[in-house]
Amino acid sequence: MIQEARARDTVGIFTYMADAATTEVAPGDAAEAALAFLGEMSLDLRGAAILDSGGAVMAAAGDHDRWREDAAVLLEVADRAGGEPAEQVHVATEQGEVFALRHAGLTAVAVTERFALASLMFFDMRSILRDLALTNSTGGEG
Amino acid sequence: MPPKPHRVLLDRVSGYADEAAAYMRRRRIARRPFARLYYATGRSADHADDSTSGAELFVAAGRLIEVAGKRPKG
Repeated sequence: MIQEARARDTVGIFTYMADAATTEVAPGDAAEAALAFLGEMSLDLRGAAILDSGGAVMAAAGDHDRWREDAAVLLEVADRAGGEPAEQVHVATEQGEVFALRHAGLTAVAVTERFALASLMFFDMRSILRDLALTNSTGGEG
Repeated sequence: MPPKPHRVLLDRVSGYADEAAAYMRRRRIARRPFARLYYATGRSADHADDSTSGAELFVAAGRLIEVAGKRPKG
């Protein structure tokens, strides 16, 4: 009796669950949210940008054109330096540190204070790109 | 007379904290700028700042640092 009631209720619960396709998130909004999340996780972060597979800026802290141009230059130089596409770039200077990561066709570029922990930065960047790629493939633009 | 157990624990934690602080101090003093690339195959490569590729990477990184500006307050 109880099992029957539970089964009936459970069916009801699932009936009212929102379908993934009905909760669409625009890729730009998702990217902005991902960037904000990266800022919350990484206290050393000064600024960051997320680029799509074509190199266009999906979200950035500041001037989108500058981020697009300068990120493209960094990635182009990095690819040329090793003779193959670099998956991760880490440049540490006296003025700050630059991280770039490619994952699932997306690219995240971040600038931090000096001595930011590289492994954590790359982990956080990979994490937001993975989530963003998932969002784009399931609910974003379809 | 043996020390109290909590004293041993505190000493041990303080010791680890001191080690970590010393490591961070040495890292700040000794660390030089570098450019490091990682590839999907697991390979990584350092590029010295006096090499052509290293210099280009530093210039490109400098431009991005300029774009990002200073860390927002608060």
